[in-house]
Amino acid sequence: MKILVPVKRVIDPYVNIRVKSDQTGVETENVKMSMNPFCEIAVEEAIRLKEAGKAEEIIAVSIGNQSCQETIRTALAMGADRGIHVLTEEKVEPISIAKILAKICESESPGLVISGKQAIDGDNNQTGQMLAALTDMPQGTFASKVEIDGDKVKVTREIDGGLQTVNLNMPAIITTDLRLNEPRYASLPNIMKAKKKPIDQKSPEDYGVDVTPRVSILKVIEPPKRQAGIKVENVGDLVEKLKNEAGVI
Amino acid sequence: MHELISKCQKSLITVDKYYDAALQHVRGELIVNGKLSRDNLDREQHAAHGLSWVAAYRATLKEMVNWASNLDSTGTFNETEQLILQITFSEYCAQIKSGIPMSQLEYVRPQDLGLKNGLFQETGTEEFNDLILNGNSTADRMKLAQLLKDGFSSKNFGNCGLDETTSIIQEQFRKFVEDDVTPNAHEWHLKDNLIPMSVIEKMSELGVFGLTIPEEYGGLGMTRFVDCVVTEELARGYIGIGSLGTRGDIAAELLITGGTEEQKNKYLPKIASGEMLPCAVLTEPHSGSDMGSFKTRAVANGEHYTITGNKTWVTHGARSDVMMLLARTNPDEKGYKGLSMFLAEKQRGDDDNMFPDEGISGGEIEVLGYRGMKEYEMAFDGFQVKKENLLGEKEGNGFKQMMETFEAARIQTAARALGVAQSAFETAMQYAIDRLDTNGGSLYDKPRNASKIVSMATEIMAARQLTYYAAREKDKGHRCDLEAGMAKMLAARVAWACADNGVQIHGGNGFALEYPISRILCDSRILNIFEGTAEIQADIVTRRLVSTNPA
Ligand SMILES: Cc1cc2nc3c(=O)[nH]c(=O)nc-3n(C[C@H](O)[C@H](O)[C@H](O)COP(=O)(O)OP(=O)(O)OC[C@H]3O[C@@H](n4cnc5c(N)ncnc54)[C@H](O)[C@@H]3O)c2cc1C
Repeated sequence: MKILVPVKRVIDPYVNIRVKSDQTGVETENVKMSMNPFCEIAVEEAIRLKEAGKAEEIIAVSIGNQSCQETIRTALAMGADRGIHVLTEEKVEPISIAKILAKICESESPGLVISGKQAIDGDNNQTGQMLAALTDMPQGTFASKVEIDGDKVKVTREIDGGLQTVNLNMPAIITTDLRLNEPRYASLPNIMKAKKKPIDQKSPEDYGVDVTPRVSILKVIEPPKRQAGIKVENVGDLVEKLKNEAGVI
Repeated sequence: MHELISKCQKSLITVDKYYDAALQHVRGELIVNGKLSRDNLDREQHAAHGLSWVAAYRATLKEMVNWASNLDSTGTFNETEQLILQITFSEYCAQIKSGIPMSQLEYVRPQDLGLKNGLFQETGTEEFNDLILNGNSTADRMKLAQLLKDGFSSKNFGNCGLDETTSIIQEQFRKFVEDDVTPNAHEWHLKDNLIPMSVIEKMSELGVFGLTIPEEYGGLGMTRFVDCVVTEELARGYIGIGSLGTRGDIAAELLITGGTEEQKNKYLPKIASGEMLPCAVLTEPHSGSDMGSFKTRAVANGEHYTITGNKTWVTHGARSDVMMLLARTNPDEKGYKGLSMFLAEKQRGDDDNMFPDEGISGGEIEVLGYRGMKEYEMAFDGFQVKKENLLGEKEGNGFKQMMETFEAARIQTAARALGVAQSAFETAMQYAIDRLDTNGGSLYDKPRNASKIVSMATEIMAARQLTYYAAREKDKGHRCDLEAGMAKMLAARVAWACADNGVQIHGGNGFALEYPISRILCDSRILNIFEGTAEIQADIVTRRLVSTNPA
């Protein structure tokens, strides 16, 4: 079985995000980038399935500019077998990503697609679900546990009320939640091996997908700064302020 | 090319002239009848060692220009990097012109090097003087301070200039260190614990111990340059972690340059896998710097050598499996030539039974810092080493064999110093940003604090580029004792300066054992002492400089 793992290059989770002064987006110039943490979890899960003898090959896909190669290389260093880089300078929206992935699924026929539940930059939480709709594959989103049994996969999902378990026929799509696993570090020997693993260079046109954005961003602004609080003298003051200044009672 | 880079490049002409004049002067003092006079060198140490510092500054500035040019050619020479280059040039050129601190108490001044006052009027290019006057303004320093603060949460303090693979390596080791080392380092230090074996095993898995060992002997055959990047990250978490590989490194260099094929096949794979932990048994109670005076004896008897004598300052002496032991096989040769190197197997000991082998006894030396492996004195009384464990199976080559390892070991030590410096810098910065005053500002808002941070960032980058340069020279197979010595000397000074100022930024809390900066201070202090003291390093560099073909 093949496992397809989409990996996204995003601003490092520890970076203090700054809005560009012209309000067209956030500052990415000279900012540290990393693999989306949920994608790392997806790569780790795929590797564990392969180590357990449930999968033969792991393909890491990234869609974006030239520097996405490094993100694919990191996935290869962790243990993925080969990469596909769909090169584009556009800011690609979830629907276009899902369409490209759907095409890749057609040619690669993976038994599982494991992706992050969302990327920490746009927080869209859409790609996996859209891909399921486009390919007609069943989906198990927000996975905290994945067990393969024959041609079925049991996915434990983290939902608001607790945990829900779904049984899916494979091929299926899984999106990862935070508690699924703890991703490994790539060792030096594996980083060296990754240098020799192939990365296929493609373009959106190769898949016949038009990635022109459909949503136009009008303006990006910083959230209002939290104001310092004050201490009130007594309960009377508090009630007075809640009534007249905050207007909540 | 960026305007600033060409300006720096032009100012290097003046630095070159200054250096050439200093070199001529020191040569005149030290060379007698075409040969280096040891007596003169000892008498004129201040000027002679000063020359090595001028050379180190010059090499550093050249590397800063190369670093900037490379970034520029990939479109990544941004504001942070520009300010780092500019401030480093301004500061180092000013020091060259007025006085370089070899230590906090010893400055080498132009007059010490026989340079006339007028030198800079005659030869000083406009750029050199302009950089000194205008390259290090308060406004620029505060600008850089702000950029460093912006980059703090993502640990982005200027682009070091790594390629894709090396960046991935750096990132992976950073993760390992943040998860498994940083949260524990201070406790290991305070409790004076040996670093847990579980952490050492993880490092084995990551490939640390075989990094530079050739693939045919079970290693990864990677470059010294990659080793620098890995070592810096490890030492950034804890000096002991960054130093675990040092011993394996030295042992591997000894074997590769001086071992027989059987010795290489027997030991290198086990060192590479981390299965065998080595220790260096060199220093003797009466001296560490003067190896030629070592007294410990190795007497041949049948299939063995019998070792008798006292050694000291053996790092990881108890919990190690093989000793690099330097002992005198020929008592008639009083100097270096009588020494031989052994790779002597020993049993692994622990805190309760340090030295299980017959013929070895010893004890722990309590130390300020650099804990985690512990240091020991060791007394040898009739300890037996098999003849096959004489390195290269030939007597009298011990000192030469040891010398061959210095380049690699000093580059690795420079990288350790960078890691310690970086941790001092980040720890101090965190404290300065977090400590708020009543007006809602922080310690970082005070220019004297922020300015210390700026100096740390620029000096660390400077020492890092010099270290990378030495490593790349080593990887090209060039002789690089000069570069390695300069890098070790500068990086060690920078580490101590960063730690000392890091404590200062912490105020009273910096003096409390509870705060990690107190450990970093102790850890950083060793870097000027071991692996060739600052003074010995300067001596070696100067001897090379004045002896090589006069320009
Ligand atoms: C924590 C720690 C770990 C160590 N680990 C090891 C180890 O694993 N294995 C090992 O073999 N050794 C080890 N050492 C020993 C270390 O290498 C020596 O301490 C070092 O070489 C200096 O030697 P020394 O202590 O005898 O000082 P000395 O040689 O007595 O020097 C004292 C001072 O005089 C200066 N000096 C000496 N000679 C000259 C000169 N010719 N010109 C100018 N100045 C000079 C020195 O620079 C120094 O400042 C360790 C030391 C420490 C503190």
